[in-house]
Amino acid sequence: MMEITPFLKKLLSLPGLSAYETPVREAIAETWRPLVDELEVSRVGSLHGLRRGVAPEPRPRLLLAAHMDAVGLMVSGMIDGFLRITEVGGVDDRILPGQLVTVHGRRDLPGVIVQPPDFLLPPDQRGKPVRREFLLVDVGLTPDEVGKLVRTGDLVSFAQQPFELPGDALVGHSLDNRASVGALTVCLDELQHMSCDWDVWAVATAQEEETFLGAYTSPFDLRPDMALVVDVTHAKGPGSNDYRTFGLGKGVVLGWGANIHPGLYKAVKELAERLEVPFQIEAMSRHSGTDAYAIQVTAEGIPCMVLSIPLRYMHTPVELVSLKDIYRTGHLLAEFIARLKPDFMQKITWEEPS
Amino acid sequence: MKELIKKLVECIGPSGFEHIVRDVIKDEIAPFVDEMHVDALGNLIARKGTRKESGLRVMLSAHMDEIGIIATHIDENGFVRFTTVGGVFPRNCPGGRVRFMNGAQGVIGTERAESADKAYTIEQLFIDVGASSRTDCPVKVGDVAAFDRPMLDLGNRLVAKAMDDRISVAAQIETLRRLKDTPHEVYFVFSVQEEVGLRGATTAAYGVDPDVGIAVDITMTGDTPRGTKMEVALGKGPAIKVRDGRMLSDPRLVKLMVEAAEKAGIPYQMEVLEGGTTDASVIQLTRAGVPSGCVSIPCRYVHSPSEMVDIRDVEHAVRLLLEILSNPILL
Repeated sequence: MMEITPFLKKLLSLPGLSAYETPVREAIAETWRPLVDELEVSRVGSLHGLRRGVAPEPRPRLLLAAHMDAVGLMVSGMIDGFLRITEVGGVDDRILPGQLVTVHGRRDLPGVIVQPPDFLLPPDQRGKPVRREFLLVDVGLTPDEVGKLVRTGDLVSFAQQPFELPGDALVGHSLDNRASVGALTVCLDELQHMSCDWDVWAVATAQEEETFLGAYTSPFDLRPDMALVVDVTHAKGPGSNDYRTFGLGKGVVLGWGANIHPGLYKAVKELAERLEVPFQIEAMSRHSGTDAYAIQVTAEGIPCMVLSIPLRYMHTPVELVSLKDIYRTGHLLAEFIARLKPDFMQKITWEEPS
Repeated sequence: MKELIKKLVECIGPSGFEHIVRDVIKDEIAPFVDEMHVDALGNLIARKGTRKESGLRVMLSAHMDEIGIIATHIDENGFVRFTTVGGVFPRNCPGGRVRFMNGAQGVIGTERAESADKAYTIEQLFIDVGASSRTDCPVKVGDVAAFDRPMLDLGNRLVAKAMDDRISVAAQIETLRRLKDTPHEVYFVFSVQEEVGLRGATTAAYGVDPDVGIAVDITMTGDTPRGTKMEVALGKGPAIKVRDGRMLSDPRLVKLMVEAAEKAGIPYQMEVLEGGTTDASVIQLTRAGVPSGCVSIPCRYVHSPSEMVDIRDVEHAVRLLLEILSNPILL
């Protein structure tokens, strides 16, 4: 079995904010290259890897998607050499003050996010989280130097380095959704020793955190017969223990709702039961909050299934996952794909509801 | 160019009712285009240039429509109740004058205020067209109107309703006229229904199927007293969009635009807009994806009946577009 931690740590050490995925895409391409038959980059920066199946042409095609972009910040202005910031994707503003960041100016600059002291705030603002519009990045340089090295629109990424905690937890920024890229990689690795009828397009999508750009455009290009989307979901943890959260290390979370094709769901769930792969079920009332929401309505429509990895502290620089969940997700995907028969699509028709 | 701008901003053309504007544009560009057509939604699509070896199919898009209102009810005394077409702010309405597509004019009145410090809602407003009964009211339910103001020429600064986005329509017309030598097949799209959800550009982009998309639109500024916190200012050149509320520009295109401006010595600003978006956001999502960006013209008092631009920014936007279109686009 492939050791995924070094690969993940490498991904978690790279920026790759939405629309600026190049560094992380190149790292993924390097690892995927020996695992697939073809690699290409879409017009908007998604990575497409094809692992060819063995069924006679025309072979059915599976899209296996996980987004590779990360949330972060962007310079929106300057005040006396300090940088004002806005977000790329959704960032939890409450955790920003004190974070170490990298400002990607004409060269990379280390910086720290700072807030005005509480006693200097207007009375109605004291004792509360400071709104993002009042937060600044200090890069320690004079206004002149900053003016030369940084301009509005430059990216600011979290400088938090990845690390392991005792047990099997991995911590870092952008585990949403590079944990899922890890699961796809585990799957591709396991498929090396298996024979599959279907073509598998493993896709690391761009800009999920902003517009689902990759998820709207790659399936239009590849025209898959169905799609399996891997993303993260909220794990149980301090202060988050209700029905909207899922046990960390308790297995892959299977999505269920209008965004999910019931036949496809049933097939994945039955296989998980048969293989005794632990799983949990997430009811998605409308928007799955994943690439599947875009993929489902692309071109003539694409049946989708969402598999999620439980993750704590989403959209902070210390996102936390269980490695076990990543391996299990990758394993379930590989076992499912290897069992796909060429006539699978005919078996999940709407005429025979599950 | 002021004359062209005046002609364009003084037309009525709320979303879905762009034909008056479209006819003006057609007349202005007819001698300069290789071909043009109006698509199923009403977008005016004009091609100039044929694709050479180093060329791409490039789509430019500036929207013809403007925000406006639509009559929902005429009461027995001839007062017209209405709702908005696009993002009309009720705070900008009282005392404003409107003109309906059929030529009827009126003024927006308000009900008695519940309290002095509470803003009006659109339901508390009505239009008085000078009628005294439902039967002599020249406006019927469903009639559409736009704000009615002549353009104000303050020298370098011009003020008018519908600068959003006729100023960009003017910039595109001027670019089209001046474009002499291009390796690209350039589609100048004058789109419909931007203000109600970017609907025209969605289908125009599907139809044109471009390799690169560039919207030309206005952007907000941060240069007025205690206004929005934003770096863009009037008169400092066109803004190259890095992001707005609904899209991130393709970084390769941002770089190309910056380099084009630097090379040609055109003043420019970097734009990070936290709310609002342009046709580029839907062009980007078209088919298998279209690398997209936006050249913005800074504009104060956006979505008010008195939007202000600086004519020098418009001139520089035209020069920037010409510079981009006259050279190979290597992404």
